[in-house]
Amino acid sequence: MPQETVGHATQPGAIVIVENVVKRFGAFTALNDVNLEVAKGEKIVLCGPSGSGKSTLIRCINHIEKHDGGRIVVDGVELSNRIADINSVRCEVGMVFQSFNLFPHLTVAENCMLAPMKVRGISQGEARDRALGLLRKVRIQDQADKYPAQLSGGQQQRVAIARALCMQPKIMLFDEPTSALDPEMVKEVLDTMVELARDGMTMVCVTHEMGFAREVADRVVFMDRGNIVEEADPETFFRAPRTDRAKGFLNQIIH
Amino acid sequence: MNTLDFSILAQSWPYLWSGLLFSLSLTAAAFAIGMVLGTCLALVQHFEIPVLAQIIRGYVAIIRSIPLILVLFWFFFLVPIVLGHLSGNGRPIPIGATYTAFITFGLFEAAYYSEIIRVGLRAVNKGQFEACQALALSTYHTYRHIVLPQVLRVASPIILSQTIILFQDTSLVYVLSLTDLLGAASKLAQLNGRLVEMYLAIAVVYLVISSAASQCVTTLRKRYALATAR
Repeated sequence: MPQETVGHATQPGAIVIVENVVKRFGAFTALNDVNLEVAKGEKIVLCGPSGSGKSTLIRCINHIEKHDGGRIVVDGVELSNRIADINSVRCEVGMVFQSFNLFPHLTVAENCMLAPMKVRGISQGEARDRALGLLRKVRIQDQADKYPAQLSGGQQQRVAIARALCMQPKIMLFDEPTSALDPEMVKEVLDTMVELARDGMTMVCVTHEMGFAREVADRVVFMDRGNIVEEADPETFFRAPRTDRAKGFLNQIIH
Repeated sequence: MNTLDFSILAQSWPYLWSGLLFSLSLTAAAFAIGMVLGTCLALVQHFEIPVLAQIIRGYVAIIRSIPLILVLFWFFFLVPIVLGHLSGNGRPIPIGATYTAFITFGLFEAAYYSEIIRVGLRAVNKGQFEACQALALSTYHTYRHIVLPQVLRVASPIILSQTIILFQDTSLVYVLSLTDLLGAASKLAQLNGRLVEMYLAIAVVYLVISSAASQCVTTLRKRYALATAR
């Protein structure tokens, strides 16, 4: 486990290290010298106003966005331009998107089986067993042979979670997983995420679901304008935010 | 006024049938060559492979802006001369009407199919690529299992429409003295003096095949609309 650090405390056993990371989109600086460490098994909720860089940050962790400066180390592998490094990081990092991004032409089971077969090289039978097992875990096993379009939004997002888990990742990233859902479907997805958290998965979630944050987060990280402005355990953060920006944000989302 | 006499069809159907078979096999071959080659041409442009992409863009632009019949003539008359020069003895090497037809139609259709697929590639949702990246799928697997199947599905109605046009265009091999359905019919018609009956009969054949295929286009459109309802 890498232990090096630059100017801030390193937690023992950090599985994700984000160090002085900078990301620009043209003239816009989305991440401005961001530092974050995630311990193994830790659950982090990232929140902040839109455009604050929270999605960009987690998208840098699996190199869907390429960071322009600083270092990102995931499970001992530093993200560079080497395809082999990028792929080995991506194998250990599962991601769930706001818009599900299921493959519409494949059945639910096939969605879950493709990457383990093509990337991990497991057999079709093993991939199907694994897929059905995880679909059962997200309570959707009876839909295995349907197509994504035949499922509700909440069901689709649970399939997306199962699909990511089929790669047996060590870390799960959630990018606003409930923002595109009808209100009555939010709970079923959050319940799945809570269960995953109880199993000990390392999770970094961009979400505004404060109930979820209170229930599972070890740490809430508040971002604004490309910086981490405040970090605290959920109780402290929600009861007594230190910064004005966090106070303003919390007022807005709670009304 | 002469009465129509369709009895000629009863005697001549084996010849017409062989003409129809030629039309259909030319359509099938041009479809196969055109789709495989067209997909490659589209991918080269999609990946912006230097030099090759520009050459292909030029090729597609040229093919799409000249009539098919002219391309047929080019191939039939010019390619043997070029081949002759390349072989060194300067005498034209004929490639024969049948080969000319298959190669020309294949290359011609490739330009059209490649445009359809190229546009389809751009229409694939960005999220699909991101999902593939997040799952560590290689570029090859991403295109082979996720992107191209979706493109072919979305584009299938347009591809089939283009193939219906291709089927009708195969009648142009008439100018190479090949006996397709139209060629067979016109030879028989002139032989027997039954032009009206003959041309009416094969018009019905073209109509039936093309409209059946058009029906498939409609079905595909509907099915695709259903699949993306959400």
